[in-house]
Amino acid sequence: MDIAALQLQMRDAFRVEAGDLLAELDSSMLELESRPQDADLLNRVFRAIHTIKGSGATAGFDAMAAFTHHVEELFDEARLGRLTITPAMIDLALRAKDLIGQLLESDSSTALEAPCAEVVEALAKFLPHKAASASNTRAKPGAGADQKQRYKVFFKPHPQVFSSGTDPINLVDELRALGEATVTARVEGIPSLESLEPEQCYLAWDVELLSTKPVAAVKEVFLFVEDESEIRIESLPLVVIRETAEAAPLAAFLNIAGQSLEALDGFLSQLRSGTEPNPGCGKNYLRILKTFQAAASRQRQDEPAALLEEQIHLLETAVSGGVTLADETKVSLEEGYQKLVALIQSLREKNQRGDKPETIVTPKIDSVSQPVVPAADAPKKEDAHARATIRVDQEKLDRLMRSAGELLVARNAFPLLAKRIALEHGLSVMGKEVKDAGDQISHIAEDLQAAILSIRMMPIRTVFQRFPRMVRDICRAQNKEAELLLEGEDTELDKTVIEQIADPLVHLVRNAVDHGIELPDAREQAGKPRAGKVTLKAYNKATNVVIEVHDDGRGMDTARLKKKALEKGLITAAAAEAMDERAALELIFLPGLSTAEKVTDISGRGVGMDVVRSNIFKLHGTTTLESHPGGGSMVTITLPASLMVSKGVLVDSGGEEYVFPIESVVQTVNLPRGQIHRHEQSSYATFRNEVYPLLRLADHFASEKKFGDIAWPEEVPMAIVQTNRGRVGVAVDRFVGQVEVIVKPLGRDFAAIPAFQGATILGDGRIALVINPAGFV
Amino acid sequence: MAKIIMVVDDSSSMRQMINFTLAAAGHRVVEAQDGMDALAKCNAQKVDLFITDLNMPNMDGIQLTRRLRADAQYRFTPVVLLTTESQIEKKMEGKAAGATGWIVKPFQVEQLLAVVKKVCP
Repeated sequence: MDIAALQLQMRDAFRVEAGDLLAELDSSMLELESRPQDADLLNRVFRAIHTIKGSGATAGFDAMAAFTHHVEELFDEARLGRLTITPAMIDLALRAKDLIGQLLESDSSTALEAPCAEVVEALAKFLPHKAASASNTRAKPGAGADQKQRYKVFFKPHPQVFSSGTDPINLVDELRALGEATVTARVEGIPSLESLEPEQCYLAWDVELLSTKPVAAVKEVFLFVEDESEIRIESLPLVVIRETAEAAPLAAFLNIAGQSLEALDGFLSQLRSGTEPNPGCGKNYLRILKTFQAAASRQRQDEPAALLEEQIHLLETAVSGGVTLADETKVSLEEGYQKLVALIQSLREKNQRGDKPETIVTPKIDSVSQPVVPAADAPKKEDAHARATIRVDQEKLDRLMRSAGELLVARNAFPLLAKRIALEHGLSVMGKEVKDAGDQISHIAEDLQAAILSIRMMPIRTVFQRFPRMVRDICRAQNKEAELLLEGEDTELDKTVIEQIADPLVHLVRNAVDHGIELPDAREQAGKPRAGKVTLKAYNKATNVVIEVHDDGRGMDTARLKKKALEKGLITAAAAEAMDERAALELIFLPGLSTAEKVTDISGRGVGMDVVRSNIFKLHGTTTLESHPGGGSMVTITLPASLMVSKGVLVDSGGEEYVFPIESVVQTVNLPRGQIHRHEQSSYATFRNEVYPLLRLADHFASEKKFGDIAWPEEVPMAIVQTNRGRVGVAVDRFVGQVEVIVKPLGRDFAAIPAFQGATILGDGRIALVINPAGFV
Repeated sequence: MAKIIMVVDDSSSMRQMINFTLAAAGHRVVEAQDGMDALAKCNAQKVDLFITDLNMPNMDGIQLTRRLRADAQYRFTPVVLLTTESQIEKKMEGKAAGATGWIVKPFQVEQLLAVVKKVCP
């Protein structure tokens, strides 16, 4: 069996699950912060962490699992009612959660060691009695025991042993596998046939074993039955076992202790001689103390551990106070050191006499009586998170989608075929049959397409759920108060869109809190509630999905926007003067304009609203901004729900055919010539009391722009199209009809043309360009 | 000889990992996501060994063990509990319910195979 390959497979499987668990943790820990006593919630958090640790270690993420163990401990204590979760703990746990994520991502954990250690240390403060006892201390079978031992084993299983699924003969066989064994069965317990219960065990065994294995290995054979069976294991004095499995770590500890004391002595001698230690030296001293302390508590050497804890505390306070150590600190350090030396010395003597320390047989088990807490296994309510799912490689889904798309196009051959059969071959009945068959295939193809599309759809919840945490973190960092309202988390979007919408949204929400929401005092002065409100809302509108990011903060200052743009040379003074509110707000989408007074580490630098808009644009969506000074801002993102297939309006313009995505077309009208007006170089259309900038598609894509009077026909076919710049009237020659489009990318060389999102194949095999309304104007 | 082993755990990756390991060792694995699921699935074929987690929704590992011991077909079938070091009482409770043994999480591939071999050679 290839264990390495297996491990790799396991790691992948685990990463996927852990991702889900971590996301869930984020939200449930935040909930927990507001309801720290909620036993259900605590159990949920605990179970998620517990699974990450357990499965993670099995999948080979050792460092991650060891680290997670510390976090688990915190929640375990809380679950057992021994401590109460505070916001500070949640803070720490969230940080730990992030680190866990990073540990999973990275192949080497060395870079994360320092932050992890920091978190572990902070966690330990919440768990004083458990400090640093966490790392694995499973006793390894004694090393260097090459000599054979002679054991005499007596094993009398419990009469009911079978009913626990154990066949005792397996155990005897296991013993035999350890070395040379002589097995004698004791049959005297077998009753007469009449009183024999066939399901009971009446036998016992004597085994004499000659083995190189330590006594622990022999004991391990009976691991599952040791409580209820009679087991005696004697080591016959063939060879004296000096180093038992338990004694080895003590020797190791004494070794560490010796080294630590030596190092501490060096530091103290500096103190004694009056040479003032530099801060780095103090840190080293602290580090040695900590290692020493960890080793001591791992060994359950409580006395030195407590003493070291004291010293650490002493030094930490002293160091944080400044570089120079007070005299009394020096004295206390010196005293502590002397006590330690004495303690370790006595331990060393004990060890040499062969006394076993009393407390180390089962180091991991604190016999903990479990208080009555609703068990973690209380039936979980069936909720939206716990649906049965299958994970599918996205590649497979894409392939399926492509095939379905091709089927949709291929079905267009049927009507043409039917026509030819009827007209060219005069078989009208046959033609009708072919057409009917084609119709049926059409229906199936459409169903298939709809089904596949729905597979690709994911609720936007997966994106939204990161925001409560983010808003909270920013607020804490900036001493702000804000409440985040999430609406429409079940709104579904194509997976590709979901994946790419996250970054822009993160930016917008950050902006809303960082730049939008004012400090509580300022809000109060402005007559608003101290806590700001940020609303993140998603909903369906026709075939679009709309996402709104709204805050009730200070709003955008258009005057400042203009000033900034002017300073940076992005606009001219005259242009600034002529700008109305709306146009001024548009300035924020210009590359290189950042309005924050200073760059904060929350909203980052460089990436601005221009990046947001261009990212949304790549998803064929539009971004619009509304803002009122003092009244907050709202960014509205409108996206097609799916990128793969949509309907479009096919138009004819200047002898070329183009497709407008149907979600971008607000309305199509035949506009009477009289409703078109000219103002300087531009045309405008008036329709139902609204004025729209009007452009002619044929001119728009023409290599030479024609200016001046356009000879409009009596009635102008015009599409009102939603763009980034608001609604625009687009005049075409003719509306051909509604078509189904599967947008194919134009290929690398043409990818940078913003006006088109791609091309599509029409039913008769011709190709039309699909217009990207967001990049069109 | 190849065994039919039922793995009961609410963590899908845990199930998968055990599945990989046991399948690679030539066993046939049936997965169940909790005790209920395990009971529903264990009559379709004779299971040679159950490996079950303790903490699970709907029906936990201990209840499952009890139910299996009450079932004539599975009275003597080994049931191995997946536990963590912190679950010592549970381990005892599991034994009382009739569990055969336990595997302490986290475990290595070799440990899992060793336990399987131990309880059902």
